[in-house]
Amino acid sequence: MAATPWAAMRGLESFSQLVWGHPARIAAGLIISDWPLFEHRGVLLDTSRNYFGVEDLLRLIGAMSANKLNVFHWHITDSQSFPLVLKSEPELAAKGSYGPDMLYSAEDVKRVVEFGLEHGVRIIPEIDMPGHTGSWAEAYPEIVACANMFWWPAGAPWEERLAAEPGTGHLNPLIPKTYDVVKNVVKETTTLFPDTFYHGGADEVVPGCWKADPTIQKYLANNGTLSQVLEIFINNTHPYILSLNRTAVYWEDVILDSEIKIDPSILPPETTIMQTWNRGPNNTKLLVSAGYRTIVSSSDFYYLDCGHGDFTGNNSAYDQHPDFEQKKGGSWCGPFKSWQLIYNYDITRGLTEEEAKLVLGGEVALWSEQSDSRVLDSRIWPRASALAEAMWSGNRDENGKKRSADATDRLNEWVNRMVSRGVKAEPIQPL
Amino acid sequence: MNTHNFPTLFILFLTLSYISPLISTLESPSPINIWPKPRSFTWTSPHAIPLSPSFTISSPSHRYLTPAVNRYLRQILTTNYTPLTPPKLNLTTPPLQTLTVTVTDLTPPLTHGVNESYTLTIPSNTSIATLIAATPWAAMRGLESFSQLVWASPAQVGAGLVITDWPMFEHRGVVLDTSRNFYPVEDLLRLIGAMSANKLNAFHWHITDSQSFPLGLKSEPELAGKGSYGPGMAYSGDDVERVVEFGLEHGVRIVPEIDMPGHTGSWAEAYPEIVACANMFWWPAGAPWEDRLASEPGTGHLNPLIPKTYDVVKNVIKETTTLFPDTFYHAGADEIVPGCWKADPTIQKHLADNGTLSQVLEIFINNTNPYIVSLNRTVVYWEDVILDAGIKVNPSILSPETTIMQTWNGGPDNTKRLVSAGYRTIVSSSDYYYLDCGHGDFTGNNSAYDQPPGFDQKKGGSWCGPFKTWQLIYNYDITYGLNETEAKLVLGGEVALWSEQADPTVLDSRIWPRASAMAEALWSGNRDETGMKRSAEATDRLSEWIHRMVSRGVKAEPIQPLWCIRNPGMCNTMNPIF
Repeated sequence: MAATPWAAMRGLESFSQLVWGHPARIAAGLIISDWPLFEHRGVLLDTSRNYFGVEDLLRLIGAMSANKLNVFHWHITDSQSFPLVLKSEPELAAKGSYGPDMLYSAEDVKRVVEFGLEHGVRIIPEIDMPGHTGSWAEAYPEIVACANMFWWPAGAPWEERLAAEPGTGHLNPLIPKTYDVVKNVVKETTTLFPDTFYHGGADEVVPGCWKADPTIQKYLANNGTLSQVLEIFINNTHPYILSLNRTAVYWEDVILDSEIKIDPSILPPETTIMQTWNRGPNNTKLLVSAGYRTIVSSSDFYYLDCGHGDFTGNNSAYDQHPDFEQKKGGSWCGPFKSWQLIYNYDITRGLTEEEAKLVLGGEVALWSEQSDSRVLDSRIWPRASALAEAMWSGNRDENGKKRSADATDRLNEWVNRMVSRGVKAEPIQPL
Repeated sequence: MNTHNFPTLFILFLTLSYISPLISTLESPSPINIWPKPRSFTWTSPHAIPLSPSFTISSPSHRYLTPAVNRYLRQILTTNYTPLTPPKLNLTTPPLQTLTVTVTDLTPPLTHGVNESYTLTIPSNTSIATLIAATPWAAMRGLESFSQLVWASPAQVGAGLVITDWPMFEHRGVVLDTSRNFYPVEDLLRLIGAMSANKLNAFHWHITDSQSFPLGLKSEPELAGKGSYGPGMAYSGDDVERVVEFGLEHGVRIVPEIDMPGHTGSWAEAYPEIVACANMFWWPAGAPWEDRLASEPGTGHLNPLIPKTYDVVKNVIKETTTLFPDTFYHAGADEIVPGCWKADPTIQKHLADNGTLSQVLEIFINNTNPYIVSLNRTVVYWEDVILDAGIKVNPSILSPETTIMQTWNGGPDNTKRLVSAGYRTIVSSSDYYYLDCGHGDFTGNNSAYDQPPGFDQKKGGSWCGPFKTWQLIYNYDITYGLNETEAKLVLGGEVALWSEQADPTVLDSRIWPRASAMAEALWSGNRDETGMKRSAEATDRLSEWIHRMVSRGVKAEPIQPLWCIRNPGMCNTMNPIF
């Protein structure tokens, strides 16, 4: 008996896991009552740094559904490529994608959305802005500041970088044309994606990028600040998103960044959700105590790409005399986040009961600088399964003790079953 | 210029001055490349010629070279491969009709140190290319290089070029552990094929260990009968023959390792009486590390004081050398753990009579090493056998003429210790070449993963973390700190995939392209002509090579966003990042 069609899907999945053998048999004499601890349980996939075919996305969504994960946060575009084909802005993908065989057409998106619905998985689009938009400059160089520049000049301190990683470009909030394009993008994206959440990005706005632009330099010379520039952008985009009947999701940076941020007063908690990726539960607390519903993706725990070195070329740090201290091995967020680490993370740690109510749930994230379809399954599974259980029924036993030890063999079995279903989850132990 | 434009031009100037040094330090990239980069590649006026649809390869007949030639011909004729950065070359005539392979000496078998040098010439104005190779195995190296010069559909091939090539190190390998988790034969064949494409020539097959014994032996059927993970997870004599033959057809030696006396817990299923501390808990709660019974879960060491041990061991060795014709036989001997032997009554008695554990190991070596040598084998051991802090033998009982050492600890320091003791050495320093590092650990119930957020995650649970990136592997100088004489004793290197957290689902991505990084470093080095480290220049070549490996069915993982090779130099860092 299920409360909703989506609940029925969860129950059907549970039923399917009670079947085994050849000929098939099923456990009997049992009753299961089940419902999730957290309502938002997701996976973020970046399809801009490297492309993933639609079949990969469908396989991901299918596997998510099997894990009772219910949100696919699709980080579709970024500085490196713009694969989303928009009828109102065809040049963005035509010029900004990796190529004609690395696009998502409207039909592709429809397929993904439908598939999601048939699997009880919401598809939340993210069109990251105003940072992370270098790829827009292929079509519209005039609206993108610091496009196609070298990301971090030799000898310059980190503070003077133009981007957080190779691939520069931030939308220019002081150019009116920017909003013509942005509005087309936002409007059509909301048409393609029916979910009530719309992710507006707003992470990692880098001072050096905007400061490289003459229009913005003029603004700064007239006693303007970069935070004001961001505010202009938000004021010109956020209400528009809301007018399309969406709740806007932003990365924490928009109000928590140390340098460029806006006053929370312009982002009402009623219509805005925050997603945290930095400083663990500390930033979760900052966000919920400011009244925002929050999705947790703390990089210390939930970033699946960590611990794989970095992807820059020419990095002399890799050429040191042997037995140098290897530290994080080049990965800014290293070390690798093992399934146990993910499983044990308490996303409401340190929060009061009231604050904890504002934590909607969590998302593990696969940033794709060093991932593509060959490693998609093994990078995500079974670590996303660890989040899935912690978000669904928690990580403790009836006595309140952490239960990852007990979970180990159950996870081994689950990995085995996922593999039998065509998901190339990696092993966690010797057989 | 007016002041309005000045900032723009100034930015432009700054941009160019940042980018220009990048361009000037990068050599002008070759339109198409071979991985590993050949020792000498002369292509003065790069252009291409079409590959004739009736292209053939003429070659002397040889049991293993002929199948290789046929394989390459098929591959070349069906190439249909587009590089990430398609070469923009003038296509001239005539089309290439024939590759003529000449082998100076057809007789040398595939052994350590066999001559792998070749010269490949694709002239501009004739329809015949020539490959002159020292041995059949060298011919295979040259054929591989040739295959990487072919692209597009209809196919074309680079022309007007001469390649002279030979390896810096003679032993270039991959260790795969098929005991902690099982790999079906198809996976081993795909691995060997990919190794051959990378000019790697030694597959070090770590077949057995404490967790499972998958090798089916006629003389000792119970070992796999009871010690394998199951009937579908074992290697029969036919399987091994298939692997060995496939290796020969690909110029890849198969070196078997039956690890002993440690790492033998799986033998206890068939022979509990010859295995000390079998099926015990590996590290008792509250006990210091020194009191463990094994380095990881899965206890059991062969008992050198039980005569029956040698009955079984000799059968195993004899049959393994029958199955594997290579002249190298790896006998393991790593990680002898005091706590394991000390748990055995017979050994306790020996110790009570003033015996030592090192003597126990010596007894084992003395009862096995000569036997292996009598079967015409050179014995390879892990460094522990003479370098372990606690249990080791006197080097005098292991003659350098018949013994090779493999180092995994202490980086170049231990390499130096081994070569200065006169041993030929294979380098597998865990700080660089262990491919499984940086993935947490696999034990259950590890409370270290349950600490308050903000705790220092250090190595993330992996004893040898962090993850070893391709750049780290590429830049490792395996003869660092050695003098010329010592360096001569370094045979080469092996990257190693220990399989506690790896199996067929991740085999390709764990190994490739990182093994490719070592492949080039050991074939033609990691420096350019001026002696500077060249990993920056190697980056785009490696991305191209990954793309080709993927097109050949090897699921190598990406090293960068696709954007990077599309925007040369832009993903570099001019400031070290760590």
